Amino acid sequence: MTPLAALLSIMFFPAGITLILSGMLYEWADRKLVARFQNRIGPRWFQPLADTIKLLTKEEIKPQGLKSLLFYGLPIVALTGALTAALYAPILGFSPIYSFPGDLIVTLYMLSLMTMCIGLAGWNGSSRFSLIGATRSFTQLFAYEAPFLLALLGPAMAANSWVIKDVSAYAEGHYWMILTQPVGFVIALIGLMGKLELPPFDAPEAETEIVAGALTEYSGRGLALFHIGKSVELVVAVSLVTAFYLGGIGNPLLFLIKTLVIVLLMALLQAMLTRLRIDQTVGLWWRYGALLALLQILILILLKGWLA
Amino acid sequence: MTTETLLQRAGELLAPFAKGANNPETNRLDVQIAASDLPTAASALMNASWGYLAAITGMDLGTEANELEALYHFCEGAAVTTLRIHLPREGCPEIPSISDQIPAASFFERELGEMLGVTVVGTPDPTRLFLPDDWPVGIYPMRQDFKQEQAAAVEPDKTPERGWAGNKFIVPIGPQHPALKEPGHFEFSVDGEIITGARMRLGYVHRGIEKATEARNWIQNLYLLERICGICSHTHTSAYSQGVEKLAQVEVPERALAIRELVAGLERIHSHLLWLGVAAHEAGFDTLFMYSWRDRETVMNLLEELTGNRVNYSICVLGGVKHDIGAQHSVSIHKALDYLEERIRYYLDVATTDSGFLQRTRGIGMMSLEEAKRFGTLGPVARASGVKRDVRLDAPYGAYKRYPVSIITDDRGDMEARFVVRMKELLVTCFTIRTIVDNMPGGGIVTRFPRKIPAGETVSRVEAPRGEAFYYIKSGGGESPTRLKIRTPSICNWTSVLNKAVGHQLADVPMLIAGMDPCFSCNDRMVTVRRKSDSNTMTWSELREYGIKKYGPRK
Repeated sequence: MTPLAALLSIMFFPAGITLILSGMLYEWADRKLVARFQNRIGPRWFQPLADTIKLLTKEEIKPQGLKSLLFYGLPIVALTGALTAALYAPILGFSPIYSFPGDLIVTLYMLSLMTMCIGLAGWNGSSRFSLIGATRSFTQLFAYEAPFLLALLGPAMAANSWVIKDVSAYAEGHYWMILTQPVGFVIALIGLMGKLELPPFDAPEAETEIVAGALTEYSGRGLALFHIGKSVELVVAVSLVTAFYLGGIGNPLLFLIKTLVIVLLMALLQAMLTRLRIDQTVGLWWRYGALLALLQILILILLKGWLA
Repeated sequence: MTTETLLQRAGELLAPFAKGANNPETNRLDVQIAASDLPTAASALMNASWGYLAAITGMDLGTEANELEALYHFCEGAAVTTLRIHLPREGCPEIPSISDQIPAASFFERELGEMLGVTVVGTPDPTRLFLPDDWPVGIYPMRQDFKQEQAAAVEPDKTPERGWAGNKFIVPIGPQHPALKEPGHFEFSVDGEIITGARMRLGYVHRGIEKATEARNWIQNLYLLERICGICSHTHTSAYSQGVEKLAQVEVPERALAIRELVAGLERIHSHLLWLGVAAHEAGFDTLFMYSWRDRETVMNLLEELTGNRVNYSICVLGGVKHDIGAQHSVSIHKALDYLEERIRYYLDVATTDSGFLQRTRGIGMMSLEEAKRFGTLGPVARASGVKRDVRLDAPYGAYKRYPVSIITDDRGDMEARFVVRMKELLVTCFTIRTIVDNMPGGGIVTRFPRKIPAGETVSRVEAPRGEAFYYIKSGGGESPTRLKIRTPSICNWTSVLNKAVGHQLADVPMLIAGMDPCFSCNDRMVTVRRKSDSNTMTWSELREYGIKKYGPRK
């Protein structure tokens, strides 16, 4: 790939602008669906974009006593992490533009970078709400990260590869893995909601207790960058789950519909469930999530051994 | 026990301390005691489990009498016993604290101290509850000779911030916080996620209404009191008019009383549905919040149809009601209730079967019957712990004798029980409203009412959606009241929340606060201190000028 093509792919398509805009559209779909489930009208399609533009034009206030490097740097790192992850993921039904052996693990860790940055941002804050929010973000990270990783490892093991491209190709050529590994799909879907801190896993930013959690002190640009980062993460993670469990990449239109089905499922769960306390979240993941995911991996290993 | 035997029993219990006793009304007993006897007298009543402390009224009898009066009202059933204590006005009047015997007294004692300048000896927290932090020391707003300029002339209190000493990690909630729909300030010391201590401060919406009533006539007060609370506005007008009507000895037409009860019922439905939404939101279940508020619109529209207003219905007037309920209204009431009953049953089902929601309510904020009694809780919070206390039954007022309601209690005492009690109460209320509409008595809806009310004092109690509202009204024979004491249910329930919060997780705190359905404006009923040097307070025209200067004239 020539440097110009690489630059274009990072700045405009599939990463960069396209990714950010599609992230906003997915976010809109999510918000609109939740609103309709809750018998509200919900936002118009350009609302996430309008929110972002508004935030970007607002004054950014840095509270006293905070380390400037961390305060201004963390949102950028978080967004960079999410955008980098997108280079290896099958965004919008197009084959990933880069790939190397083991890119699955790197992508997952790039996605976790967001939570790490949010946690550190709260840790750096002087507000008590930020501090409690940060503690909760980290606690929750330890809860869902392992099961989510295991849930994506299932298809990778079935495909005998650590490369996202190969796993998607394998998924395309075989039965949909939602049928062969249903437990993994459920865990991946719920893990995704935990990763994105969506209800019922929104204890780290439970507004009725700790205002906005780790991001309480953020305003203007910093907050906008975190928001963009989150919607990018939504696209990347939904694309990964779709490619792995719902029959690979296939054609882009079909892929888009499949990702929207996942968004619909997530919106349904968000509207149906009550926020879990942080101890309940951790309990849920380690008592059921992690064990079920491990069980599925075990069955997979045994089956593979037996078939071979 | 009948009211007479109850009063007789109270008389016997208090006989050792009584310096004089009389029965101003058939359901009331006034006992004069010395300040030093107060704790023993209170113990005597409490040990015999005679009633609960409803309110403490502090009164300034004026410079001529040169005395202050503190009235401790105890209620049991329909009977009200008042301990009357005279205190010197000059020097520093002192009164012993009774918060050892009655924990709920602490809030009343704080109010008595800051408003009238009575030193309550031994009260656990003598800091201010309602008055602003910079209110000058030694100026007491409820004294008769208090003038607004006085507060402005004296230097503000510059005592450093009152707070906890030591290295505690304190989570402040409020005065501005998403969990609170109205301003209040709470400090929770936490260890990790577990609460280890709780304190609170009120008064952010204190409007000095009690003081303001003294400068307005009886009719004007009706409109002022209606604005104490935006949720139970009818409660306040009906409690006030009921008391004033009693003082004026005016018979209110049956039909008017029936209409008052009907509106009170509709108000209860609107209040409980509002609460359901808020409580669900605090727990992070926004779908229930949205649904219940959508359904609440039905009752709001109905109230608008009946009275012309959605919030401050303004249907009560002294001596009756303003609007009649006709046949066309009864059709729409029945129709609205059909829908509401179906929805309320559904919400009851959700609150008792949704496993996710139950994780946040079952076993949370557990309060036993003994605790509920000791903390002096009222209303649905008390009834969810099994306390059978409801003014509508204990002392039926207005039309409640004619259209009685049945009491709903639950003995589990947790958040779930509070949901169940409120939802079942709504079903009972719907039933009562239907009975009233179908059996409306004939006759007029209003009688003539005098401008001047004969001298005297009375107690008026009504059951608000949150519990008992207690009014003490004293007339000096003129066109405006000499003293009007308002005690709203929310303030009685705080003690239980602050005590029960300890040991819970921080995540449960919003639920606990919401569980008692707090109403801050009821509690606070703002005081602004205007000084020349103070650049923070502005009049409307100053604010306007400031805005024009800052942003430039309109182009």
